[in-house]
Amino acid sequence: MKAKNKTERRDKARLTAIVIISLLVIATGSLFSINAFMNGETAGGFLGIIIAISILAFALLVFRRGNRDIKEGYPPQDERSKRVLEKASSTSFYVTLYFLLAIGFLSEDIIKFRDVSQATSVAVGGMVILFLIFWIYYNQKEI
Amino acid sequence: MKTRIKEFRARYNLTQEDLAKKVGVRRETIVFLEKGKYNPSLQLAHNVARVLKGKIEELFIFEVKGKK
Repeated sequence: MKAKNKTERRDKARLTAIVIISLLVIATGSLFSINAFMNGETAGGFLGIIIAISILAFALLVFRRGNRDIKEGYPPQDERSKRVLEKASSTSFYVTLYFLLAIGFLSEDIIKFRDVSQATSVAVGGMVILFLIFWIYYNQKEI
Repeated sequence: MKTRIKEFRARYNLTQEDLAKKVGVRRETIVFLEKGKYNPSLQLAHNVARVLKGKIEELFIFEVKGKK
């Protein structure tokens, strides 16, 4: 019973941490968007909004599922969900490396970035979107 | 991989939810296990076999790829 309460507390703390980190990322994304819109960079602004909405949707999904599972007596994370998370993270990381390479190549003359930080933000945004896609994909696939 | 979890589960009148709680995983994991769409760790396979009072090799049938 004591061990169960400890696990439950740890799971709730984990969920709260996810929410706090997500809120911080959303706040940063919103600031990025506001700044981009104020500088007349519509594409950058919309990208920030897309990232913020994607993270918000993912955080809400994880929080809702986790909360429901704790109430029903299931662990919010088990070996399969951990494996899905690991596979989605590693695949999105590797694809982002290629994405960065492509950005580096395209930024020469095809896409004009304001500065390095803008190009990095696009890469991070791409990584977030890729992670979500791979997470959904591996959740359905045989692993 | 094929599994006989559903068959063993029916013997003991256990639902997917019951089995999930007994082995400490999410219900989706049991769903994927039954469909043969998830290769469990040895620990999970052992726990499932213990709860369903069977042997790992009875519950999980591994097929060698390319062999008929």
